Amino acid sequence: MRLEINDISKSFINNGETHQVLKDISFTIEEGEFVTLLGPSGCGKTTLLTIIAGFQQAEEGEIVLNDKKVVAPGPDRGFVFQNYALFPWKTVRENILYPMKQLKVPKAEREKRLEELLKMAQLEGKGSLYPHQLSGGMKQRTAVIRALASRPQVLLMDEPLGAVDFQMRKDLQEQLEAMWIKDRTTVIMVTHDVDEAVYMSDRVILMSNEQGKILADLSIPLERPRDREGKKYTMYKQQLMDLLGNKTIKKKETIYQVV
Amino acid sequence: MAINENKIYSPREKIVKNVGKGLAYNIMYKLITILLAGTVWYIASWRLNSDLLLPSPFTTARAFLNAITDEVVLKNISITMVRVFKGFGLSMAIGVPLGFLMGFSKIANNILGTLIDSIRQVPIMAWVPLTIIWLGLGDGPTIFLITMSGIFPVILNTITGVQNISKDYYNAAKTMGASRWSILKDIVVPATLPDIMVGARLAMSLGWMSVI
Repeated sequence: MRLEINDISKSFINNGETHQVLKDISFTIEEGEFVTLLGPSGCGKTTLLTIIAGFQQAEEGEIVLNDKKVVAPGPDRGFVFQNYALFPWKTVRENILYPMKQLKVPKAEREKRLEELLKMAQLEGKGSLYPHQLSGGMKQRTAVIRALASRPQVLLMDEPLGAVDFQMRKDLQEQLEAMWIKDRTTVIMVTHDVDEAVYMSDRVILMSNEQGKILADLSIPLERPRDREGKKYTMYKQQLMDLLGNKTIKKKETIYQVV
Repeated sequence: MAINENKIYSPREKIVKNVGKGLAYNIMYKLITILLAGTVWYIASWRLNSDLLLPSPFTTARAFLNAITDEVVLKNISITMVRVFKGFGLSMAIGVPLGFLMGFSKIANNILGTLIDSIRQVPIMAWVPLTIIWLGLGDGPTIFLITMSGIFPVILNTITGVQNISKDYYNAAKTMGASRWSILKDIVVPATLPDIMVGARLAMSLGWMSVI
């Protein structure tokens, strides 16, 4: 697996004003990496993720996955939506089987993969429930394993933990990490939470909301599971926050404050 | 039957139990309504004391019983019911696909929307002379009128249903390799179904109303 993001530019027109969200963004992602796109709201990180997914097109530049140009959404790129987008008329089981049925995976293999995924997400015995009967965390895990069901080359996650409270968020980060350790799919995750980025990723790509550019590309070679109180951990966090600048920290969003 | 307070109910049993409870309450409330209305009616008819101006609920009930045991009346009811179902079926059969088409395609919505909005304004009774000329006497005009009154709520609700489907569902399905057919069958239809049902309910009641 090799994913190349080559000179991506994208702008939006808002009330007659052109707003450049992405300007000549380039980087390459290698097999098995957990990469986080970190940045304040409006920096274009979600836009970049949806361009990689193929939901929208860049004005300039191209996305290349394994030497093939990305033009539309496809099962080689799994996507976890911020609001999960589980099909409410299907049970957990049917939601997870759906992508495999689309790819014509043989029945026996489908069932085997389903059991495997439910076990990985600690959702055994929950297969017959409907999404509205699940807790927030269970929905989130269902969304992740549904996206993994088709064995994508890369898993794209758009603020997968955005909708939960602080304590829950920490628990879910740990659960998500545990799942990832077992699965090891390449991941690109979007977040605005510095702590989440340092806890989860091998590599953090920091984006700024001023010119739609990459501020820093930082690798975090810490052992997993990580100690949030550890010296190196706090050092990485501090470094990222310094890079984001005091301006951003003092903005009305409090998420950048040291917790 | 002894009631065991400590019994742990499975989710399914709970649902069955709660549905049963809901149904019992529902019937109880309806009985209260009927009883209250009946009492007011009875007192009013007793004060007026005239079968011509306002017959008592008992006289009316007796007349109703006589009517529904009369073969001719029963036969007519069944004819009406068949007409309503035929008209309703037609308005669903035409309205749902049209609604899907208009919900998906802006062009179809613009072209057909104007046409439908103008036809929709014609009072249902204004169709009567025309339909008699077109379709003769007999079942034709009645079924036409029932279809006419039911089709618009079906179309409009189906359009709303299709247009309100979250883009995320389409995108999710596409990242799972779904074909166009599967997106229609597994995403669009189930997501629109609640709105189609609303349209169907309205069509059914409007159909009954336009029968007379």
